[in-house]
Amino acid sequence: MARTMPEATFTFNGAVIPFRDGQSIAAALTEAGQRALRRTAQGQDRGMFCGMGVCQDCLVTVNGTPNKRACMTAAANGLTIATQVAFPALDTAHAAPPVGGARSLSPDVLVIGGGAGGLSAAIAACRAGASVVVLDERKVAGGQYYKQSALKGAPLDTQQAEGATLLAEARDSGAEIIQGVEIWGAFDGLLFLAEHDGAALIARPKTAIVATGAYERPRMVPGWTLPGVMTTGAAQTLWRSYRTLPGQRVAVCGSGPLNVQVGLELANGGAEVALVAEAAPPPFTAPLPALRAALADPALTWKGAGMMVRLRRLGIPLRNRTVLTKVAPEGTALRASFAAADGSRQECTVDALCMNDGFEPQNEILRLLGARMRYDPIFGHLRCERDAILETSISGLFAVGDCAGLGGAPAAACEGRIAGRAAAARLGFGEATDLYAEQRLLRRHRAFQAALWRMYRSTPEAGIEPDSDTLVCRCEEITFAQLRAGLELDPGHVGTLKRATRVGMGRCQGRYCGPVAARLVARETGAEMQDLSYFAPRVPIKPVSISAILAAREALDDID
Amino acid sequence: MTSTDVLIVGGGIVGLVAAIELAGAGMKVKIIDAGINAGSTANAGSLHVQMQSRFMRLYPGQVPNIEASLPLYRAAVEAWVDLDAAHGPFDLVRKGGLMLAESPDQMAFLEQKVQRETARGVRAELLDRAAVDRFAPWLGQQIIGAELCLDEGKLNPLVANVRLRAAADRLGVRIERDWISAITVEGGIVEARGRNFTHHGDRVLIAAAWGAGPLARSHGLDIPTRAEPLHMNITEPCQTRIQHLIQHAERSLTLKQLGTGQIVIGGGWPAEDRGERTVPGVLYGSLLGNVALAAQLIPSIGGIRIIRTWAGMNTTADGASIIGPLPRAGRIVMAVPGDAGYTLGPLVARMAAAEMLGRDPPRDTAPFSPGRFAAQSP
Ligand SMILES: Cc1cc2nc3c(=O)[nH]c(=O)nc-3n(C[C@H](O)[C@H](O)[C@H](O)COP(=O)(O)OP(=O)(O)OC[C@H]3O[C@@H](n4cnc5c(N)ncnc54)[C@H](O)[C@@H]3O)c2cc1C
Ligand code: FES
Repeated sequence: MARTMPEATFTFNGAVIPFRDGQSIAAALTEAGQRALRRTAQGQDRGMFCGMGVCQDCLVTVNGTPNKRACMTAAANGLTIATQVAFPALDTAHAAPPVGGARSLSPDVLVIGGGAGGLSAAIAACRAGASVVVLDERKVAGGQYYKQSALKGAPLDTQQAEGATLLAEARDSGAEIIQGVEIWGAFDGLLFLAEHDGAALIARPKTAIVATGAYERPRMVPGWTLPGVMTTGAAQTLWRSYRTLPGQRVAVCGSGPLNVQVGLELANGGAEVALVAEAAPPPFTAPLPALRAALADPALTWKGAGMMVRLRRLGIPLRNRTVLTKVAPEGTALRASFAAADGSRQECTVDALCMNDGFEPQNEILRLLGARMRYDPIFGHLRCERDAILETSISGLFAVGDCAGLGGAPAAACEGRIAGRAAAARLGFGEATDLYAEQRLLRRHRAFQAALWRMYRSTPEAGIEPDSDTLVCRCEEITFAQLRAGLELDPGHVGTLKRATRVGMGRCQGRYCGPVAARLVARETGAEMQDLSYFAPRVPIKPVSISAILAAREALDDID
Repeated sequence: MTSTDVLIVGGGIVGLVAAIELAGAGMKVKIIDAGINAGSTANAGSLHVQMQSRFMRLYPGQVPNIEASLPLYRAAVEAWVDLDAAHGPFDLVRKGGLMLAESPDQMAFLEQKVQRETARGVRAELLDRAAVDRFAPWLGQQIIGAELCLDEGKLNPLVANVRLRAAADRLGVRIERDWISAITVEGGIVEARGRNFTHHGDRVLIAAAWGAGPLARSHGLDIPTRAEPLHMNITEPCQTRIQHLIQHAERSLTLKQLGTGQIVIGGGWPAEDRGERTVPGVLYGSLLGNVALAAQLIPSIGGIRIIRTWAGMNTTADGASIIGPLPRAGRIVMAVPGDAGYTLGPLVARMAAAEMLGRDPPRDTAPFSPGRFAAQSP
């Protein structure tokens, strides 16, 4: 390593770790080959899984403060970072609430989430004359599709460049974009409580547009919680935001177009992609949906076909009808086992295994505020009921993009433009009478998505019976066998199952195990899946430090 | 004669333990439960004995009843210790409860309270800060002393509920979901009319907490059971340091650390009432106020995170338990524990079950007879 340039470094369990300016702690540690970040109550190692602040498995202790998410925390020179133990000591030194710095906002339109949908909504509302604030959880807004680089330098490709343009457009429109904001409370009458750089942020907007996107559905097989196993989106964030490869040798599996795209991106970034395993049959076996997709959006269909060709050119094997069955540690690497529909089996040794088995909407805020939902059996998740202008059943609350049910980035942007104008018009800024063109475009995007997902396996497998000791709840370390025992005791409701087994009681608040538990209960009781099949929504939306709650209370006292 | 000896309406802690007692004595028992808003599934697992400052402040009229019930609370914790030995472990710890004082006024209040409680046989004493520091040095600087009640403790209600439910299953207790709207007695048979079915039994035990009052009304009793939605918070796990049940001499707080390492913060902050048949909602004022108070008293918890809040339905009546047959319908027996009902639950259940089995109850039930609510005849 060059001695001449003083490198930025932090220590991890005493080892010196270099990082590049802008990298997250998780990215720097991944680059240094450190994948095990936290140890569970049962003594298991865990690492970065979701890469987006949801799973809470990347926790580390930073300068003595426990339970910081390595994926959401920027690396900084001189930090002392350690493996997160399961039972950290209570320590007054790190417990004081931040002094001052609290902010109180009351914009005409509050946009929650700065992805394709949120940014488009902000631009539309701002241009109509409304005051707009966008809150985004990440260090750099842009969302999952446009994933922006947190490092200096030119955009990676057109997708990232388009995102940068959209972000600049949003700023130019006059919207205030606040990044690195963790919203943890949403209450009736549109009150949002959040934390920003440790200080309280309180928002009482006139209208709100929720654009919180989706997170990824994992495939629960033995070993899916091992460090090095991560969602495909997490691997993509590592690469697109931090120019960090999840590992030198990787495999990607699950179902859906993201897996192929990320396989290609990682290969272009220099990774050796051992395998892309897709559960669905190849598209040519489903000519009708393929044709429908092509008709609805020729450009996107062409782009998808192009990706397949490039995958082949790079010599990356794409196996259809193939699913992951098991992951096991092998030295410092992972041994991943796959099974194909024809009964053949395949194994490969990789540094990182990426999985995406579909998406779950991040609808916590919408559900907390009581927006009406219905179950979409094709995608196996809830969709938020909205009218033609994308307002939910709660007056003044709009929902756009994947948080209302999977739809993809182009549809999200389109919905954002409609809702942004409608929310502004609601307050007397401009008129939203000529939305027909947007609505027509939206119908086309939706037709494309519907056709697209017919070529993949968008429905979570109902009949899978994983090994009994496979974990279903990462946080509380609950196995399928325990879940089944709980079901036998009282199959009544997923809430009963939660109290009986502790499934979903951990830090991720049931985001991964919840949908699975809900489906198991529905199957056992013969009930239809619906909004109430899921765990009841509760604050905090994400775990929030007690000192941040204190700060919020002080800030509210000052306002009221 | 029907095929069910005893129908139990309500499957909370009282209903479950009563079922275990009755089925253990050879009776055929069926529990009918609405499956919503059981205090037993939402409570904080504090084993209360000393008089809670919250109740004394909120319901001064109930203080005489609460005070008279002190020996019952002591016996109730003993019943939990028994139950833990038979069906546990429930994560039960009995190191005592601390009620904190921040001002001389509060100390004076506690001093009087200690006198009243020791007079009723409660093991309570007043400690100055130096004495408190011997086992709770992590308390905030402003704490000047505390009442220590050695009879108090804590347990994990989720663990207790699951184990007791399994014990009831093993004894052949059937549990059905239904909402009972009326109970009538005819020709020596009890009929409980449910939303789904009509259930029959030789006798019925009403262990329906907030739902108990309405069921007794047509039998000439005006039992003022009231649903009280309450707020709770829980943190992520941390190193175990807090052995005692923590309360405050003036403000609403209960705090304890479970065996999981998580800290449970509650103490009677209100939740949003959405009616008895809907789960209550979380109010931000309660979340902020409750957690802030905890952080003031134990500053070192500021660095850990709250991972969940919930709202549950508590039941209050007149400060004393309601146990025994209805004066005008002896086949209908009440078992409503009253304040700190999870603590009282097993003992109240055993007292009611003993009455039904014609055995000597573990304590005299006469002071708790539902007869005290006989409606004034028009
Ligand atoms: C947030 C909270 C914290 C608490 N903390 C503590 C604590 O730390 N320590 C303590 O001692 N106590 C505590 N309590 C009080 C305690 O939980 C209750 O008093 C106790 O659980 C009551 O037990 P139960 O069996 O009488 O009734 P419940 O557990 O309330 O069960 C009653 C059941 O009856 C059902 N029901 C009602 N009406 C009908 C009907 N008509 N037909 C069919 N079913 C019906 C209900 O659905 C419910 O399932 C707390 C309560 C709450 C809400
Ligand atoms: S990887 Fe950081 S929260 Fe999931």
